[in-house]
Amino acid sequence: MFDAAMAVAKPEMKSYIWLQTVDGSIQQVEEEVAMFCPMICQEVLQTGMGSSKTYAISLPQRVNPAILGLILDYCRFHQVPGHSNKERKTFDEKFIRMDTEKLCELTSAADSLQLKPLVDLTSRALARIIEGKTPEEIRETFHLPDDLTEEEKLEPLRNITDDPRIRLLNRLYARKRKELKERKKLKDVEIEEEPKDERSVEDLLSFINGADGDIKGTRSNKNKKKNRRRKDHAKDLSSKTASENDKDLNPLPSAYCNASFDNGLEASASKHSRMQNLPGVNFSPKFEFVDGDVDDDLDPAMKEELDREVEDFARRLNSDWPERMQILSLGQDRRLVPISMNSNGSMHLYTNNSISKVSGS
Amino acid sequence: MQSSTDKTPPIQRLKLLSNLTQTPYPPLSASFNTTTSPIQWRLRSNSNCFALLRGIVFLLLFSRKTTPFDMPPRIAYSFPEEVLEHVFSFIHCDKDRGSISLVCKSWYEIERWCRRRVFVGNCYALSPPTLVTRFPKVRSIAIKGKPHFADFNLVPDGWGAYVSPWIKAMAVAYPFLQEIRLKRMVITDECLDLIAKSFKNFRVLVLTSCEGFTTHGLAAIAANCRNLRELELRESEVDDICGHWLSHFPDSYTSLVSLNISCLGNEVNLSALERLVSRCPNLQTLRLNRAVPLDRLANLLRAAPQLVELGTGTYTTEMRPEVFSNLAEAFSGCKQLKSLSGFWDVLPSYLPAVYPVCSNLTSLNLSYATIQSPDLIKLVSQCESLQRLWVLDYIEDDGLEVIAASCKDLRELRVFPSDPFGLEPNVALTEQGLVSVSEGCPKLQSVLYFCRQMSNAALHTIARNRPNMTRFRLCIIEPKAPDYLTHQPLDAGFGAIVEHCKDLRRLSLSGLLTDRVFEYIGTYGKKLEMLSVAFAGDSDLGLHHVLSGCDNLRKLEIRDCPFGDKALLANAAKLETMRSLWMSSCLVSYEACKLLGQKMPRLNVEVIDERGPPDSRPDSSPVEKLYIYRTVSGPRLDMPGYVWRMEDDSALRIS
Repeated sequence: MFDAAMAVAKPEMKSYIWLQTVDGSIQQVEEEVAMFCPMICQEVLQTGMGSSKTYAISLPQRVNPAILGLILDYCRFHQVPGHSNKERKTFDEKFIRMDTEKLCELTSAADSLQLKPLVDLTSRALARIIEGKTPEEIRETFHLPDDLTEEEKLEPLRNITDDPRIRLLNRLYARKRKELKERKKLKDVEIEEEPKDERSVEDLLSFINGADGDIKGTRSNKNKKKNRRRKDHAKDLSSKTASENDKDLNPLPSAYCNASFDNGLEASASKHSRMQNLPGVNFSPKFEFVDGDVDDDLDPAMKEELDREVEDFARRLNSDWPERMQILSLGQDRRLVPISMNSNGSMHLYTNNSISKVSGS
Repeated sequence: MQSSTDKTPPIQRLKLLSNLTQTPYPPLSASFNTTTSPIQWRLRSNSNCFALLRGIVFLLLFSRKTTPFDMPPRIAYSFPEEVLEHVFSFIHCDKDRGSISLVCKSWYEIERWCRRRVFVGNCYALSPPTLVTRFPKVRSIAIKGKPHFADFNLVPDGWGAYVSPWIKAMAVAYPFLQEIRLKRMVITDECLDLIAKSFKNFRVLVLTSCEGFTTHGLAAIAANCRNLRELELRESEVDDICGHWLSHFPDSYTSLVSLNISCLGNEVNLSALERLVSRCPNLQTLRLNRAVPLDRLANLLRAAPQLVELGTGTYTTEMRPEVFSNLAEAFSGCKQLKSLSGFWDVLPSYLPAVYPVCSNLTSLNLSYATIQSPDLIKLVSQCESLQRLWVLDYIEDDGLEVIAASCKDLRELRVFPSDPFGLEPNVALTEQGLVSVSEGCPKLQSVLYFCRQMSNAALHTIARNRPNMTRFRLCIIEPKAPDYLTHQPLDAGFGAIVEHCKDLRRLSLSGLLTDRVFEYIGTYGKKLEMLSVAFAGDSDLGLHHVLSGCDNLRKLEIRDCPFGDKALLANAAKLETMRSLWMSSCLVSYEACKLLGQKMPRLNVEVIDERGPPDSRPDSSPVEKLYIYRTVSGPRLDMPGYVWRMEDDSALRIS
C-alpha cells in the first residue's frame, strides 16, 4: 500500500521503494526491481515499510551502497520476464566479471538479501577462482592468515624439505649420488669395452695383469685433449646462457659434481656418438646435473654430524660394492636363458590367467 | 601469519626459500643443438660463480618476502560460514578440496564439515577413526586397497586390504552414507550385511576387483537396501553359491539404475532377473554374466528399451532365424544404447543383430569376443561414434587400419592378447596397427596395447602423431625384446613418447630398455603420475632419474629390474610425496629397507618375503618384494606372516 500523496505525480505513475544502507544513505528504487529481492519483498509485504523516505527499509549490514547498486543492476535485468535463457546467461557471465574482493562482498550481500540466484551465481564464480589454486595462492587471493600448524598441514603431504632431519639426509644422499655417478661412469666405461674394444695392446696387457687403476689413468690421459676441447666449448655455451640458469636455481644440492666430469664426459660422449648413427633416430640430448655443493645453509653442528654420517655410510657402501657388482652381472646373464614358463606366468609382466580388463586399472 | 624478524633461524629461512622455489629436486637444464655437431652440454661455469648468483637471488627473494611482515596483516574479508560452505559446495575435485582445507584454520573447519565425498587412494594411508573424526558428514566414499600389481598375481593371498574396519567405523559415524566404491579390497558377507543394515539411504555399491564375499552377501544387500540404485561387481571374485540372491529384491523395489553381474560364474534366476528389469523404469546399465543365454536376451531388451549400457551374456546359440530376428528387433528398439560389452563365445552369424545400434555406440568392449578379423571389421567399421574400444588382437593391423579410417572420435584403445603364452604370434598384429590408429584418430589419448614387436621408429611416429596422449601402456609380450628392426633398446622410442606427450599421466614400459629411457622419463615426464616398469634398466641410476625427475609421480611399480639401495635411499624424501612404491625381484637389500624404515617414520616400509624372516638372511641380501607407502596412521596391524614392517626401532639404529 503506497501513500499516493507522497508519490511523484508523473504520467507513468511509477512506484518506488526507499532503501537505507548501513552507512545511512537512502535511495529510491523502482518497485519491481526492489521487490525482486526476497528480503525487501518480505519487508514491504509484512511491515509496509519502504513507501517513503522516512520509512525506508534498513538493509542488512553487509549491503553497502556500491554493492547495492550492483545488486539492483542484477535485479533490474532479471526481473524483466521477456529475456531468453541465453540472454540471461550472457548477462550473468558479464556481470560477475569483477575483482575477487568485490565478488566476495557481492556474495555476502546477496546472501543477506536472500537473493538465491545471485548467491549461486557469485558462489560458483568464487568456486572457479578457488579451483586449481594452491593453498598459498588461495590465501593470497582472499587475504587469509596462514594459521595452521605443521601437524595440521600434514595431510595431504607435499614436498617436504624443511624438516631438518630430512635436509640432513638430503645432504648425505647428495654425496652418495656423486659416488653413484662416478661408479656408474666406471661401470659404463667397462661395459663399453665389450662391444667395441679400442684399447691398445699395452692396455689390455696391463688389465690382464691386474692393474685396474692404471686403465682408468691411461684412458683419461689419452682422451684428455678431446675432453678439454669439449669442456671449453661447453664453457662458452654456459656463459651465454647463464641468465637462463637463474630460473633453475635450487637451494638443495644436486646430484653430480664437476669433479667427475672428465670420466663422465668421455663415457657418455662415446655412447652418444654411437647412438647418433642409428637411422631415423632423433633422440634428445643428455643433460648434466650440477652440484650446488654450497654448505652455507646449514648450521656447523649439523654439518659435522652430516659429515660423520656420510663417512659412515660411505664406508658401509664401499664394503658392499663387490657383492653388488656380482649380483648385477648375474642379472645380466639371466637375460640369455630362454624364457621358461612357470605356472603363474610370472616371467611375463602384464599377462596372467585373466588379463586385467577392468576399466581404469 | 608467522612473524619473521632478522633473527629468523636458518631452518625458517630455508622453509621460506623452499616454498618460494618450489622445486626441491635437481633442476635440469636442457636445450641443445642435436643435429650434426657432437653433443655439448651447458655447465654452470664454476661453483664459486654459481654460489654468488644463488646468494644474490636468495637475498632478492628473501628480501621481497620480508616486506609484508612489517606491515599489519590485512583483515580477511568477513564471510559468513554458510556462504563459504555454499561456495565449497561447487568444488568437487579432491585436490581442490584438499587445497581448501590447507588454507587456514577456519576454512579447514568449514571444509571438513561440508565434505561429502572422500577418496582414499590407499586404505593403509590413514585409519578409519581418523577419517570419521575429520569428516563427520560423508555421504560417499571410495577406497583402494591392494597395489596394482596384485592384478598380475604378484601380491600373495591374505596380504590385507580388509574393508571391515572401515565399514564398522562408518556404520557408526555415517548413518546417512549413500555410496561405497571399493577397488582391490577384501569384503566379506558380514561387511555386506552390515552395509545393508546400517545405511538407510544406501544407494551405490561398486566393487571392482574385490574378493571375499559370496552371493549370500549380495542377497542381504538386495533384501535390505530399499533405495539401492547401483550394484556393480566389476571383475570381482564372488563365491557364487546360489543364483537366487536376485529374488531377494522385494517386489516393491523399483529404483535400480545400474546392475553389473558380469563376473558371476553361475546362472542367476532368470525369471527373477526379468521381473526385476521389467519393474525398474530407470534402469540404464545392465551387464549380464556369461550364463545368461542368448535367447533370453531379447526379452530383457524388450523389458528395458531405455537401456544405455548393455553387457550381453554368452553370444551364441543354435542358429535359428526366428531367434535372430527377434534379437535384431529387440536391439533396434533400444534407441539409447551407447555401450556394449559381454560377447562371450560369439557365433559370428548373430553379430548383425547389433548392427542397428552400432552407429550410436560410444563404447564397445569386445575383449572376450573370440571373433576373427573380418567379422570384427564388419562390426567396428559401423561404429562411427566410437570413443572407447577394447578388443582382442584378432583385430589385427588390418582391423586397426579400418578403425583409424572409421572411428574418428576414438579416445581410448585397448588391445588384449588372445594367446599371450604362445611362443609364436598367432595373429597379424604388429606395431603398425597402433601407428595407423595414432595417425587416423586425432582424439586418441589412452592406449593399452599388447603386441610382439615394436620399433623406435614406430614409437617416434606415434609420439609425433599424438602429443595429446595421456595414458600410454605398451606391453611387448616378450620381456626385454629389442627394436625388431635395429635390435637396439627401445629407449629412444619411449623417450620420444615422454618428450612429445607433455600431458602424459600414465606410462607402462616394456621391451629392451637401459638406464637411458629413465633419463628421458625423468627429464620430460613432468606430469607423469603413474609408471610401471618391468625387466628394464641397468643400474640404480635408472631409478634415480625417475625419482628425482618426475615431479608429479604418485605411483611407481617396478618388477625384475636391477635397482638397488642407492637410488632409493638417495631419494627417500621423494617417497613421502608419493602414494606408493612397489619393487619386486629387484636388488634392494634388507639393510636398506631397515634404514629407510628407521629414517622415515611417515612411511610404512613393508618387506614381503615368502622365504621366511629377513633376519635369517644376511642384511645385504635382496628382499623379494618391497611395498612402501606414506601413511599418517602408523603401522598396520593386520599383516600376514610373510610381511615385515621396517620399524623405527632403536635397537636396530645404525650408529
